[in-house]
Amino acid sequence: MLKTDSSTIARILAKGILLAVLFILINACASYYQRHFDFNSEFEHGDLRQALETLRRNENESEGKSRFIYFVNKGLLLSVLGEYQESNDYFEKAFLFGEDYRINYINEAASYLTNPTFTVYRGEDHEHLMLLYFKAINFLKMNKPDDALVECRRLNIRLNQLSDKYSSEEKLQRNAFIHTLMGIIYQSTRDYNNAFIAYRNALDVYENDYARLFGMEPPEQMKIDLLESARRIGFMEEYESYKTRFEMLDYEPQEYDADLIFFWHNGLGPVKDEWSINFAIRRGSGNTMIFSNQDLGLEFPYQVESEKDRSDLGSMEFFRVAFPRYFERPLYYQSGVLESNQVTYPLELAENISKVAFHSLRQRMMEEFAKGLLRAALKKAAEHSLREKDDRLGAVLGLVNVLTEKADTRNWQTLPHSIYYSRVKLKEGKNMVTLSLNGGAKEEDPYSFTYEVKRGQTLFHTFSSLETSAGYRFY
Amino acid sequence: MAKTLTTLTLLFIDIACQTRTVTRIAPDTPMDLSGRWNDSDSRMVADKMITELLSSPRFKEYAAGHEKKPAIVVGTIRNKTTEHIDAGAYIKKLEVAIYNSNIAELVESEEFRDKLRVERAQQQDFADETTVSQWGKEIGADLMLFGEMTSEVDTHNKSRVVNYITTLFLTDIETNKRIWYGQQEIKKYVKN
Repeated sequence: MLKTDSSTIARILAKGILLAVLFILINACASYYQRHFDFNSEFEHGDLRQALETLRRNENESEGKSRFIYFVNKGLLLSVLGEYQESNDYFEKAFLFGEDYRINYINEAASYLTNPTFTVYRGEDHEHLMLLYFKAINFLKMNKPDDALVECRRLNIRLNQLSDKYSSEEKLQRNAFIHTLMGIIYQSTRDYNNAFIAYRNALDVYENDYARLFGMEPPEQMKIDLLESARRIGFMEEYESYKTRFEMLDYEPQEYDADLIFFWHNGLGPVKDEWSINFAIRRGSGNTMIFSNQDLGLEFPYQVESEKDRSDLGSMEFFRVAFPRYFERPLYYQSGVLESNQVTYPLELAENISKVAFHSLRQRMMEEFAKGLLRAALKKAAEHSLREKDDRLGAVLGLVNVLTEKADTRNWQTLPHSIYYSRVKLKEGKNMVTLSLNGGAKEEDPYSFTYEVKRGQTLFHTFSSLETSAGYRFY
Repeated sequence: MAKTLTTLTLLFIDIACQTRTVTRIAPDTPMDLSGRWNDSDSRMVADKMITELLSSPRFKEYAAGHEKKPAIVVGTIRNKTTEHIDAGAYIKKLEVAIYNSNIAELVESEEFRDKLRVERAQQQDFADETTVSQWGKEIGADLMLFGEMTSEVDTHNKSRVVNYITTLFLTDIETNKRIWYGQQEIKKYVKN
């Protein structure tokens, strides 16, 4: 009886250990999206209050290594729920995080012995721009144009930093949508001179960078706004020149009472995922060791000075390295149109966040490869050294290394896939505007909005459709 | 490899010990970081324009030819460059110099005039009669200062040359006659 009890306890204990190991394994392998599945699922299904509750339950993340994502997620969620001031409090935290961010080199060093999630997530370039977009729009919705202008100036500084950061033209140094947004904000505050500069810069970026990298064209509305701001400030030479360039010679300014700037946030941006590849190691000429993957045509030569190190590395046949990649959540709706006072206004694509994200990661993939390989090599070398002293301990470290090898899959996953916009002309008083979204699986009734507007006013509205044609699957 | 690892870790720890430093510097210290328009450029434009304006024989002649000191209002400074430049930064320096020179009076610009008129209108209804500001006593400006900023940019590979041209005019509102004309060019060569 006693014997049976002991074996049962041992079995239960073994099962427990197995389960614990499995749990650790699953958790270790889980991507950032998977580890926040509750929140992501609630957000994707439009259960925004519940998603906010989940974030509030995880308040401790505001102190963690991924606090930037926590701040922007909460800011975005509160903005969609119409709680603009609180939303901006969180976006401000995210902004200040970006301003004050300093690399913690101890964490960086530790990440080379474990994985990149050991470091604080600093945010992608486009994420730092987008948080200021949300912040500025929140201020405009609260009718605080001066505060929105502050965000405009911050955006200008961010854009300058971005253009100074990269020297290669293949990297995204400029952002057409942000220039357009600045133009819209300046125009709404009747600063037509700055609006003109912003639109002119946006045109340049759309026609060059965005056309070349993303196959995008400048929105027609942006061209009209460029003409309008040139005319208002009295730059008649430029006004006529752009009319000719845009083939809009018959363009005549229209008189109307007020404007509605309608932004449509279509779908959801990409999710960072993980993929891993095996690298083989061979000796190259001189002191060089070559890490290669023939299937992908990748070769990374490293100078290794010590013969012993070369020998140690040469004894390892291959090893696995994990890298980040984006998984697109394709659009469900393909187009949208607004209608007001018997006039239709197409919603034009101003920014494809998904393409911007993919491009940014693709452009730094070589850097990611190099970092990943260095990390894997350091881990392998540590394991090899330990094995020489104690084979069992070396094996344990080898297991730990395998378990901890993972890519950094953190990114701002509540961002929209794409942003469309239109400028709707309103009459003083009450206006009805309808929004029709097209290209979905089934015909849907248009959405209706009522706006009460004063003469000379510019209203701002954002509409988010969270539907995607295929969600992110991780199984 | 273990040696490399130790060196790497020590290097990281060494760098990690570095802390952020903030240094106060004299406002007139020229600091060029990005090569774009900055406070040093605003100051150079303001200093040059102030000297030119106050020593301009035509302006002195105009001021002497009037019984009272001429009143100047600042109009629009149009920015045709590719950068968002706040012309107010050097215009305010110019205003201070004109005000302190005692050669001319300054009249509030359109933006502030409107605010003053709103305040005056409210005083008519709510303020003590003996303290109410009266309508029709504003000083009409004799001269308007306005101008334009342009830039010519030439780029090749990682080099950029930008020539900023700031032009200011002081014009007689009654006759449209240009009383003073100042121009300042700042050329920058930026190599990345």
